[in-house]
Amino acid sequence: MSDALSILETTNLNLWYGQKHAIVDVNIKIPRKKITALIGPSGCGKSTLIRCFNRMNDLIDSCTIKGRVLFNGNDIYEKDSDVFKIREKIGMVFQKPNPFPKSVYENIAYGPRIHGVKNRKTLDYIVEKSLRSAALWDEINDRLYDSALSLSGGQQQRVCIARCLAVEPDIILMDEPCSALDPIATAKIEDLIDHLVERYTVVIVTHNMQQAARVSEYTGFMYLGKLIEFNETTQIFEDPKEELTEKYITGRFG
Amino acid sequence: MEKSNQIFLGDLNGWYIPINRWLKKIFSLVKSFLLFHDHHFIDDFIKKILFLTAISAIIAVFFIIFFLLRDGYQIFWEAGVWNFLTSSTWNPTGEPPLFGTLPLIIGTLLVMVGAMIIAVPLSIGSAIFIAEIASPRMKVVIKPAIELLAGIPSVVYGFFGLILLTDWLRVLFNQPSGSSWLAGSILLGIMALPTITSVAEDAISSVPREFKEGSLALGANHWQTIRKVVVPGALSGITAAIILGIGRAIGETMAVLMVTGNAAIIPEPIINVFSPIRTLTGTLGIEMGEVAFGSLHYHALFGVAVILLFITLIVNIIATLIINRIKGRQIPVNRKPCRKFTLRIENKLRSFQKLAFFSRFSKTLSRLRSYRTFVGCTILGFIVIGLTYSKPFLWIALLVGAVTSERFEFFIHQMRKKLFHPETVQTIAFSLITISVLIVICILALIIYEIVANGIGALNWNFLTQPPQDLGRSGGIFPAIIGTLYLVGGALIIACPVGIAAAIYLIEYTQESKLTYIIRTGVDLLNGTPSIVFGLFGFAFLVLFLKFGISLVAGQITLGLMILPTIIRTTEEALRSVPRSLREGSYALGATKWQTTWRVVLPPAMPSILTGAILSIGRAAGETAPIMFTAVIFSSKFLPSSVFDPVMALPYHLFILTTNVPGATVNKFGTALVLLLTVLSIYLIAIIIRHHYQLARAM
Amino acid sequence: MKLGERKISYSFLAIGCALVFALMASGCVSNQGSPTQTAQTTTTQIQRITVTGSTTVLPIAEKAKEAFEVNYTYADIQVSGGGSSVGVTSAGQGNAEIGMSSRDLSPEEVKNYPELVKYEIAWDAVILIVHPSNSINNLTLSQIRGIYNGTITNWNQVGGSNQAIVVVGRDSASGTRTYFSEAVMKNENFTAKQEEFNSNGGILQKIAQTPGAIGYVGLAYTEGVKAVKINVNGTMIEPTLNNVLAKTYPISRPLYLLTKGQPKGLAKQFIDFILSPEGQQIVGNVDYVPLPK
Repeated sequence: MSDALSILETTNLNLWYGQKHAIVDVNIKIPRKKITALIGPSGCGKSTLIRCFNRMNDLIDSCTIKGRVLFNGNDIYEKDSDVFKIREKIGMVFQKPNPFPKSVYENIAYGPRIHGVKNRKTLDYIVEKSLRSAALWDEINDRLYDSALSLSGGQQQRVCIARCLAVEPDIILMDEPCSALDPIATAKIEDLIDHLVERYTVVIVTHNMQQAARVSEYTGFMYLGKLIEFNETTQIFEDPKEELTEKYITGRFG
Repeated sequence: MEKSNQIFLGDLNGWYIPINRWLKKIFSLVKSFLLFHDHHFIDDFIKKILFLTAISAIIAVFFIIFFLLRDGYQIFWEAGVWNFLTSSTWNPTGEPPLFGTLPLIIGTLLVMVGAMIIAVPLSIGSAIFIAEIASPRMKVVIKPAIELLAGIPSVVYGFFGLILLTDWLRVLFNQPSGSSWLAGSILLGIMALPTITSVAEDAISSVPREFKEGSLALGANHWQTIRKVVVPGALSGITAAIILGIGRAIGETMAVLMVTGNAAIIPEPIINVFSPIRTLTGTLGIEMGEVAFGSLHYHALFGVAVILLFITLIVNIIATLIINRIKGRQIPVNRKPCRKFTLRIENKLRSFQKLAFFSRFSKTLSRLRSYRTFVGCTILGFIVIGLTYSKPFLWIALLVGAVTSERFEFFIHQMRKKLFHPETVQTIAFSLITISVLIVICILALIIYEIVANGIGALNWNFLTQPPQDLGRSGGIFPAIIGTLYLVGGALIIACPVGIAAAIYLIEYTQESKLTYIIRTGVDLLNGTPSIVFGLFGFAFLVLFLKFGISLVAGQITLGLMILPTIIRTTEEALRSVPRSLREGSYALGATKWQTTWRVVLPPAMPSILTGAILSIGRAAGETAPIMFTAVIFSSKFLPSSVFDPVMALPYHLFILTTNVPGATVNKFGTALVLLLTVLSIYLIAIIIRHHYQLARAM
Repeated sequence: MKLGERKISYSFLAIGCALVFALMASGCVSNQGSPTQTAQTTTTQIQRITVTGSTTVLPIAEKAKEAFEVNYTYADIQVSGGGSSVGVTSAGQGNAEIGMSSRDLSPEEVKNYPELVKYEIAWDAVILIVHPSNSINNLTLSQIRGIYNGTITNWNQVGGSNQAIVVVGRDSASGTRTYFSEAVMKNENFTAKQEEFNSNGGILQKIAQTPGAIGYVGLAYTEGVKAVKINVNGTMIEPTLNNVLAKTYPISRPLYLLTKGQPKGLAKQFIDFILSPEGQQIVGNVDYVPLPK
């Protein structure tokens, strides 16, 4: 895969939580407008890795990072890079749905508002557009002003996705978005991801291998902080090159 | 977003579009020139302002210490520090004047010990009752009832104590006078009760359900679970509660000065609870208002204030150490570098404890038991000596034998099993606990009943809207009501912005470091400072140094300082309880720290912050000591026309009526009733709001 | 909770706040005058003076102020206690227009505040009071001294019943206590067991509810207690107005108002009022002794 096709790229990325070496020499190239899955056993560093992509690890004081993360060719950890702009362009959806204790409308309008959009009509438009993109509009267009916390788990997660879409990112990072949801909601979200990839690049972390196999086009396998193997999903699951990958796929350890 | 913006607004057609665009360009140029859209700049700027508010607590503490010393060092210079602290006569107007604070210090300690003996069992019992035994319906009634006890102003307690309690004690125990150490301890115990109970109850109910379930699953009954799992699990909170109670007891002025008799003596014998006694705070309360400014006596009183502050500091430090130790034993604590110096002190304490007599004794005892022959021979020897020489040796032999024999231990164990069957123990324990709660409720009911019954006669429209006449014996208390409102309003305006901003800084903008540790210590110290010390500081700094004179603004600033730590604390707790995931969600959308704080963190925290503010209102409205020397006069026909005028205030009015004006009985009770109603209704509002939002959160 | 509900509860809160603010604002509005305004008030500026000091003199000042302000509606006389020492210092430093004192100036005070002008406005007696049930009716000065310095501890030592004496006095900064200390105690130390109160009223209350207690207060404070006659060489002198005027009652003293320099304006008018026949009648009404004519 050539560089021009990768939207996000890391070069010798290393991360420490205090003394713990959590990410070890990771070189990964995330392809543009594709779904990339990151799999691996608990504690292997997949969530940590994607949190490097939008500089969420900055919020943790004991964290030290070495190496480069290039977004469209620019190192996001450079001194004068605008972290807020980066987070606008690289959005994130979390494991446990975390809508704000506000109305659905306010949740989704939050992002645009903080980035300067004040016009009410524009906001209405953005809210509707995002909810449609998240496949939620038909379900809750009559409940826009209800508290987001009154929705079901799956709906809350889709509100979070809509909220993320409202700021028009280029990449959507998803940290085990379905692990707190029931199978039906999970299916809806997997469906949604399939549609999102038409306009966005998606990186999804999951510990559910079947989900990775279902949903993604590229997969990376991580183990103990290292990126063991990165290839097209079909390759990873049918003909893994590394022994560790094969052991994990076949369930020898988990 | 630019795309959406363009898509939407670009739909318009018109001649004004180019002009619009030009205007926009110029505007954004100006904006970017003024750096208004530079998020980093705004965030940095805000962080600096918040930092200033955060260190305000420390600055305040330093100012207080400085101004107290400024007016107090003279006595340490004249009389010598050691002399001042240890000579046993306090006679400032004698020939020669003597300034020994030992009886005052001992008085403070004795009253505090007595208060704790009364308060701790009752309040821990009540806390256990509310948290573990009461049904939800009972809880809804009892918990606010006990918190209402906290709302009763100290001058009302003093009033109740002076008029009723001392008389009862005098008659009940057939003593010449009811003003005594006992009266002081009882009153202080009652006053400390609600504080200890609510903090302890919070701690007990936050013990995770899993602990309790684990214990019950092993076959323990409810009481055993409470005793062995719940209470130890809540120990750090319970200790914090008791220490807060101690702080309250040490720092209380008004109530104590009205019922202890103010005789500066050390009781003889030391445990004579009916002896009159005087505390450090009582000395300040009774003499400060009348002392000649600038005299040695005046400086001595400031010296007393310094001692008080010092004692508070020591209590605070001990408290933090104890609580940290308990917490450290229960949950592994990340030893951050900033705790190094407390760690050193803790380690020293630990090694000191190892030498403690008790642990040595038990070690010796168990070692003794292993030398069976040796012990047997000793006992035999003692018996022989006892039979031939003196009986006592027989008893000693018996005692030694008993203590060291395993047979004896087994015997005791059997007795305990038979007599103290778990179910019996539980019944006894629960009954005692229920009795303690009933006692607490009865006290509350009694105080309120007495005041309402005697005061309701005074309540009429006239009373509430007319100024006082005839030294307050007739007429009304309107200016006092307004004065209290002004004082409280001003205090809030000062304390809320600073306090909330400081808490935001501490929680959102910094990580735990030496600096935050120092700031928090400053806040804790400010929190534990007795209200009379605030009053003296206000007097020395605002009234005299800044030349505000006795004025409304001096009172407002003093009260504001007094409630500042509470606001910081409650806001901190409120901010902490906002889940981290909300903040992360906001950051992930590209929001700055300030945007996240303002839009996502503060709104859900508002109800708790509000509750804290309202509780502060209650406290500020009822306090006498901080305003006594800074803001109030006894009577004024007109209301203050500027903030530099003095005011009347309800608690001070009640104090003067009670202690200075004979024959004002009905008005006294009436004022007490109005003050009580004002403060209690404020508390009630806070409790209702909190209840309301707790229900909402549960949904 | 629905957002609508939250809005409703917030609006209740807002109404509550509005009410409180309205109350406070009403304070501002009714600021410029007492409830009974006359035409005079609207045209004259309010003049304000502070009168502070001895709690013994306070009732005179309070009552005089009430009568004074009826005629002079622009006057706002702010009276507060604090003790004679505070009265002297406040007047001496100029913090208050008029200081009240129930004792004479000490030599040091004369030195520090040479401009102080003293006005004798009334006389007061220091009376010893006991509980009505106490069988004692009179005491000699030396007996009183003995009680207060701790040598006499039981009522039966002075002819009463077997009851422990509860000694009650004023705090150390009180002018009344200073006078008592000089006149009765001959500057001996008080017993350390003495219970201290910060006002005449406080002592009165204590005596009224404690059978074994004895205390010293001003002449006006006799409600609910028994005043003890002073035994002077066999003659029982009762603390009455006449005895004080005739100077037969041994412990009486003048009460003073102090000003820094000659008083002007409202302060002068007020002092003149108190010294006038009407003012002196008020002195008598509050059970103090007016100046001899």
